[in-house]
Formats: sequence, C-alpha cells, structure tokens
Amino acid sequence: MIPYRQLAGWAVFGGVMCLLPLVLPPGILRMVIFANFLAIFALSWDFISGRTGYVSFGHPFLIAIGAYSTAILSFRFDWPLIISIPSAVLITVISGLFFFVPALRIRGTYFALVTLAFMELAYQLTQVLRPDITGGTRGISGITSIVSGAVPNFYLSFSILFVAALLLWFLARTRMGTALAAVRMDEGAVTASGLSTIRLKLFAFGVSALVAGIGGAFYVHYLGSIAPRAMFDINFLFQILVAALIGGSTTIAGPIIGAFFLTFLLEYLRPFIDGPERFLIFGSVALIVYVLKPNGIYSILESGYGLALARFRRFRPEGGPAK
Amino acid sequence: MLNLLIQGLALSGLYALIAVGFTMIFSVGRVLNLAYGTYIMLGGYVYFTIVQEQGLPKVAGFAGALIAGGLFAVIVYEFLVRRLEGNPKAVSISTLILAVAMQALIVLIYRPTSKSMWPVINGVFRYEEIFVTYNVIVATVTSWVALGGLLILVRYTQFGRAVRAVSMDRKGAVISGIDPERMNRATWMISGALGALAGVFFATYTQLFPSMWVWPLIIAVAVVVVGGIGSIIGSLIVAHIIGFMEVVTTTYIAAELRGVFTMLLIIIVLVMAPKGLFGRGDI
Repeated sequence: MIPYRQLAGWAVFGGVMCLLPLVLPPGILRMVIFANFLAIFALSWDFISGRTGYVSFGHPFLIAIGAYSTAILSFRFDWPLIISIPSAVLITVISGLFFFVPALRIRGTYFALVTLAFMELAYQLTQVLRPDITGGTRGISGITSIVSGAVPNFYLSFSILFVAALLLWFLARTRMGTALAAVRMDEGAVTASGLSTIRLKLFAFGVSALVAGIGGAFYVHYLGSIAPRAMFDINFLFQILVAALIGGSTTIAGPIIGAFFLTFLLEYLRPFIDGPERFLIFGSVALIVYVLKPNGIYSILESGYGLALARFRRFRPEGGPAK
Repeated sequence: MLNLLIQGLALSGLYALIAVGFTMIFSVGRVLNLAYGTYIMLGGYVYFTIVQEQGLPKVAGFAGALIAGGLFAVIVYEFLVRRLEGNPKAVSISTLILAVAMQALIVLIYRPTSKSMWPVINGVFRYEEIFVTYNVIVATVTSWVALGGLLILVRYTQFGRAVRAVSMDRKGAVISGIDPERMNRATWMISGALGALAGVFFATYTQLFPSMWVWPLIIAVAVVVVGGIGSIIGSLIVAHIIGFMEVVTTTYIAAELRGVFTMLLIIIVLVMAPKGLFGRGDI
C-alpha cells in the first residue's frame, strides 16, 4: 500500500521549506540553517537510540569525526571538497562500526557510558595528539565553504536534511525497520525468530554514522571553523538529545520538529538571557515534557490531529465511551 | 618518589569519596544517576558562597554544602527518578539533561568565569623532602573517615541492613516492615551529602567552574564500572588505580593526558569484562 497521506505530508513539508527564503530575512534563515543541521544530527541519533534502544551519548564524536576529517583533508592537504567530503563520510561510517564493538557485549545504560567515554577520550586526544594537524585546542578556521550566502546555504542544508529524512523514513518502513524496533523491545525474541541481531545493529549503526558523517562534513564547511570544545561537548550532545526527545523519538517528523522548536525557542530567549543560561529554561522544559509526555511534541500533535479528525468524521458514537 | 606516593594516596582517597555516593545509588536502586556530578559542583559552590563570599565560618560552609547536596538529591529522586522508575534509559537521559540545566543555573548565578577556591586549611606540612599541603591531608583524612563511617553504617546498623534488604528484594523488605520509599530517600540524601562533601575538597584541587561536574562524574562511573557493581572494596581498589594512574601520567608523561588512561580503562573493561574487575559483592 502506498502511504498517500504521508507522501502528501512530505510534499507539503518540502514545498513550504523551499518557499521560506522568499519570505524570511537572512537573519532568520540562518537560524533555519542551524535547525536543519540539528535536525540531521537528531535524526541520526534517533536512528540508533530511538529505534534500537542503544542510547548513544557519544554522537558528537561521530559528527566530529566527519567534520574533522573533511576539515583536515581539505585545509591541510588541499584535497578538493568533492573528494574530501565522501572520504570523511566513509571514515565516519568506519568509526561508527568501531563504535559498535562495545554494543556487542553490553547494553542499556552501560553502552551509553562507553559512548560518553569515547567522546571525552576523543576530546582530550584531539588537543594533544598532532596539534599541527588538528589545530589543537584552537581548532581549524578558514575552512572552504561550498556555497556562500544565506539562501544557497539554506537550500543546501535543507536538501541534505530532506534526503536524509526520506532515506530514514523509507528504511523505517521496510522490514528492516520493523526488525530494529523489535531489537529495542526484546533482543532474545529477535534472535529466536532467526534474525541476526548483530547484523541488524551493525546496519543501524552504519546508517546512523552515515547520516552523522554527512551532516558533520557539510556543517563544518558551512561554519568554516572547528574547535574541539565546540564539537566534543556535552552541551552539543544535550541539544541533539533534547531535539530528538522533545520532538518525539522513534519518528521521523519528531526530531525535525524538535530541532526547529529548540532552535527558535533558544533564539527567542536571547533578548531575556543571552548566554548558555538559556539551557536552564530549555532543560527544564525538556525535562517536564519528557516526564509527562515521553513521546514528545509529535505525540501531542498526533493526538490533537486524531481528535480533530474524530470530531470531523464523528467517529465517536453519541454518548459512547471516549476510547 | 615519596611525594608521588603521597599525592597518589591523597588523590585516590578523594576519588574514592567521589565515587562512593554514586556507588550507593547504583547498588541500591540500579539507577545510573548522571546528575551525580552536580552534587559535587553544588557542594563546591555552596561552600564558596558561604565561606568566601559571606565570610562565615568554615563549619557553616560544610554544613551548608552537605544540606544543599542532600536536599537536591532528594528533590531529584522525588520529582524525576521515582516517576521514571523501571526505565533505566529514561533515568540516565533525564539526569543528564538535568545536569546540563544545573550547569546553566550555575552560569546564571556565578557567571561562566572560574572562581578560585581557597584551601580549607592553609599551610604546608614539611618533613625533609616531603611537602604536603594541610589541605590535602585534611581532604584525605575526611575521605577515609567518611568512607569508614559509611561502611559501618551499611554493614552494622539496622538502617544499613534495611537499605541492603531493599536492594536485594524489595517485596521481601516490604513484608518485613521496611518502607522502601523511605530507605530510597535516605540513600539518595546520603549520596547527595557525600557528593557535596567530596565537592568541597575537589573544588580546592581544581577551582570552581560551571562544567566541573563532568570529570568527577566520569571518575565515579569509572570506579563503579571497573570495580564491579556493588563491590565497595573493588571500588576502593579502582579509585586507587585511577588516582595513581593520573598522578603518574601527570608527572612522567603530560598533564593534558591525565584523563586519557581513565577513559581507556572504562572502555576496555566494559568491553572485555562487562561485570567489572571485582565481580559483584554486597554493599
């Protein structure tokens, strides 16, 4: 069955986003660009952590591998971007599979701890090992940009987001997606049905790393600079996590909604408090939403939509029980 | 050489104290409390406010830090962890979010710049070639006293037996007339107070800055994970391994690589021996 309604949703989403540069000033458009990248990262996180239940606290590590690889290859070794970006993505996927090794032995919260340790390890190592290549604590600046100006960058970032989201949406709808959801619920049962959980998880980690690598590589060329503290940072992890969770984990629309919500909320808090203190309000909102509505904004929208639809079609018989 | 030994012992004692509050929560409720680092931060900042900004006596500083840590821990338990009980993933994610939010609160109150913390007691103990600051001595002694007290409390008192009973079998504990909620609240409070106590001394080592909670959290995680869950002796041994590793690295290799070996240790042990080096004992 072809999911007409969801395809229509994709078309509307794509159409509206493509029209944005016509109405928005460049300042706001730059926020949208950031939201696009954050949405890519949140989608990538959610594909491992939401779908298979292996919570990754080291996602900035994967993104940073992609970003650092292309930055170093293009800036230090003068590789053209058309080669450096794919190489960076490949390196990230390989690191993602390496990242996966602990997941063979441990699960649940311990996996989260190992990934957190990975991130802190990478943070310390990039500063100390070969600072002539990584730029040490200061990082690298003056990285070539792909396109310049807010509008072209918006279209570039949005097309990456759109393609990544479509790919993940398609994968989630295949039998593979169902199997991955089953891994979250009961790994033993998946093995008992004759599926290899190792292969399934390997696949999920590979896909997640692919998306993270693409996002990271293009992000660094958009920013033009990179530094260890901006990348291997718990605040960065926090933004990714919160975007995915507040929007709605295990969905495709959820992390995108969450990323936009996070970016705009943080931006509109700027006149009142302008530093990292904004995370206080944001963290509190995120916690309240998470404790009360673990499935995020998406589930609120969905139930609102369902209610409206039910009213419209009079699904509920008169005086019947409300569900 | 002797200086190295003393430094190592002192740092390890502090690390053991940092880890012990985290271990308690973990072994009683199987809860991975990633907000644990904020107790340490809270302890440091509260002591700083009371003693250095208000000029009140140090005893008041310690009392304030302990109360703040314990109170905050109970609040976290009541309003967050208890509501997510039975979902360890949700607990670890939400406590991490909470920790970042608390960091933002500290930035809001104390500004992002780092604050220098005076030693708890000034002066240097000197004997021939050995130099030890009194601060380090006080920190180490306090750590050992707190650890010993905790061990006695858990092993030999009615309260300790009740806590252990809840951690082994909640239903059985209820049948024996123990209120598990009360025990959990008490455990969280002790954990918070211990964290805050460790935080005061930790801050005299490293200074106060809003992201200071990350490193102690990693230490606590490393000690618990590598030592084996619930093994208090294992935790002590691993605290010493990590402490000495850090001192040796700082002295002989490079100060920037301090944390690298600790992180590698966590990764390798979790991958090779997920149950930890010292299996599971009892607390």
